[in-house]
Amino acid sequence: MTMLSRVAERVYWMARYLERAENAARLVDAYHHMVMDIPRSAQPGWDILVRILAARPIFGEYFRVPNEQNVVKLLIAESGATCSIPYAVHAARENVRTTRDVLPDEVWELVNELHLYAREHSGSSVGRRNRQQFLQEIVSRSQVITGVLNSTLCRDHTYRFVKIGQLLERADMTTRIIDVGAADILDQEGAHQAIDHLLWGTLLKSLSALGAYRRMIGPLVEKNAAVDFVFLEPAFPRSLAFCLRGIREELSPLSNHTQAVKMVDRARRKLRRFESGKYGRDELHVYIDDLQVILSQVHAAISDTWFRFDAR
Amino acid sequence: MEQGWGDYKTTGFYDELFTPKGKPRVAARQAVNLLGRLPDGELDARRTAAEVAIREMGISFTVYTEGGNIDRAWPFDIIPRIITEREWRNVSRGLAQRSRALNRFIDDIYNRQKILADGKVPADIVLESANYKPACAGASPRFGVWAHICGSDLIRNADGKLYVLEDNLRVPSGVSYMLENREITKRVLPELFENYSILPVDDYPSQLYATLSSLSPRERKRPCVVVLTPGIYNSAYFEHAFLAQGMGAELVEGSDLLVDDEDCVYMRTVDGPIRVDVIYRRIDEEFMDPEVFREDSVLGVPGLMRAWRAGKVAIANAPGAGVADDKVVYAFVPEMIRYYLGEEPLLRSVPTYLCMYDKDRDYVLAHLDELVVKPANESGGYGIMVGPHSDEATRRRFAKLIEKNPRNYIAQPTLALSTAPTFIDDSVQPRHLDLRPFILQGRETYVTAGGLTRVAMVKGSLVVNSSQGGGSKDTWIVEGKS
Repeated sequence: MTMLSRVAERVYWMARYLERAENAARLVDAYHHMVMDIPRSAQPGWDILVRILAARPIFGEYFRVPNEQNVVKLLIAESGATCSIPYAVHAARENVRTTRDVLPDEVWELVNELHLYAREHSGSSVGRRNRQQFLQEIVSRSQVITGVLNSTLCRDHTYRFVKIGQLLERADMTTRIIDVGAADILDQEGAHQAIDHLLWGTLLKSLSALGAYRRMIGPLVEKNAAVDFVFLEPAFPRSLAFCLRGIREELSPLSNHTQAVKMVDRARRKLRRFESGKYGRDELHVYIDDLQVILSQVHAAISDTWFRFDAR
Repeated sequence: MEQGWGDYKTTGFYDELFTPKGKPRVAARQAVNLLGRLPDGELDARRTAAEVAIREMGISFTVYTEGGNIDRAWPFDIIPRIITEREWRNVSRGLAQRSRALNRFIDDIYNRQKILADGKVPADIVLESANYKPACAGASPRFGVWAHICGSDLIRNADGKLYVLEDNLRVPSGVSYMLENREITKRVLPELFENYSILPVDDYPSQLYATLSSLSPRERKRPCVVVLTPGIYNSAYFEHAFLAQGMGAELVEGSDLLVDDEDCVYMRTVDGPIRVDVIYRRIDEEFMDPEVFREDSVLGVPGLMRAWRAGKVAIANAPGAGVADDKVVYAFVPEMIRYYLGEEPLLRSVPTYLCMYDKDRDYVLAHLDELVVKPANESGGYGIMVGPHSDEATRRRFAKLIEKNPRNYIAQPTLALSTAPTFIDDSVQPRHLDLRPFILQGRETYVTAGGLTRVAMVKGSLVVNSSQGGGSKDTWIVEGKS
């Protein structure tokens, strides 16, 4: 089965953008919930969302004050901003539009509907009144698409590039959330001991990990256990360990995979050396920084090997 | 509301399904009777069903607009056009003959230029035409065939005879609609098929694949054929994807291909480069290779002409084939048939006045109100003046254009395009139409059974182009039992 490099690249990005839209929606939703439970003085401030999404420069192009209204507006309603949910949805749609022949018919229809939904409702969903409904709709529609892909795609190259895009995006988002989220919580540690577990809980929730954590680890959310869980838990499908293992599995049937597999193995070795108990706030940040560099090398290797090679 | 055919009136033009006396023609009788017996509202219901089917099948074509591109459903009329197999047999032979002669002509022009030396066609009109590509001189594609896919436009005139109006030899489109139209008719009017023996059309993609693979420079069981598209923003992208899928070929864009130092063409795949044998080219030759044609083209493949000239890859249609797709050259096709094949033309052409000749030009300028004036090098029905429908100012403008650049204009008598019953709003009305059959030429020759019938949906209009509000009909070639 022949697969054009261009088509592979587009389905890979479709998967990344879909995952990105879902993750961003989940993140805003989790934070939105937490804000209502926590005394104002203990709230990390809305700009944490901008920092997690590495969107500070973009934010500056649109707004000055990082308050709730502006941050939410950027992420939900500014369709031209590359960090926004409607932007990710639109980018996913454009990638599907040009690869329709390798994807199941329903995928095009569903992605198109998601795009229309986001376009129609994003403007009216910035205020608290409609916000949650909008975010949950984005999450559940994205999940439907992922489900259709999982249950209808043949396990060929198309599926592999979809899967790799999805897992790599998820791994990237997980590291960002832990990086920024943990730093913020650790900054205030002690000040509001009573609500620490709430903050860590929100962090898990934004990664869809809270329920799984409770079942597998226990009801009380603690820093080390929480970070270990989302980094290392092999059974949890959003953990870093799970994502990296998945990427490796999908890479190995592809030809010329040596370089990309090497990079994934490097990330996995790095992860095996992870010891949450030993790291303070700064060590954790340095560690995650290194890990993110390796993840971007994984992407670069994939791109060089399969998307943009020249004649050999 | 009366929906029947009782008040269907032909309008003085030849009608495809009715005699001037208002009786259905023999081949159309069954269909007319059956459609006439449908209860009130049923025709409308079938039309709605067709619209739903079109949307489901995703038939759309893009219309260029200022504000980006929109996908629009292709207007489809559910009443089929019916032609007897006996008539079609002759037309089909005539089309094959024409395609053979045109290909001999193109091959001659880029090689020995015998026909020019013999004075049968004036050398300057060929060699000075924008369609003549010096970069193609000396090339010799397999079987001497340059125009592998030809879409010839036929019209039926007042005398009831079919005439060739033009031959599209560059990148003719529309064949996917021919196939889809049949699918839709089968879905929404299945009972019509009970009493007819209709020649099938759905083998076109396999015939196309057979034609293309016969061109392969390498002897292989399954040559690598690709469809080269300019991309999603092209108006015929749907058709490119449709044909690629039908042939099981890859749909590639220019950036998917590369030419190596040995002039071989490869496509970039995740398994590494794969050698391409045949390219079904759906981009204009001007954009094909920035090394030879337009440097600013980002759609093309640098080095593609090198590869083609070296015989390492076949390109269909071959670059340069457009030299015979020229409204001036058209006037000489009957002569070509006699010259190359020693045969008399089986199909009629429309008498054509060439404004470059003083005598013709004087006649044209004196009869602007009767003639149709066309630029020699436009397609899509743009820049045409229909004399009898024109006003004084337009005629003056065209007179100036002709005098300024006579080589660029031809004129033909205004043809009385035939009509066929078409379901408009809630009644059946006559509308003008033409017919585009497709002729494939490789090792073998193949002519589609019928083709794409295009209908001017606007009352009285003669413009059938999809970009200007035209629609289409299913076209039946029926075996007679009269």
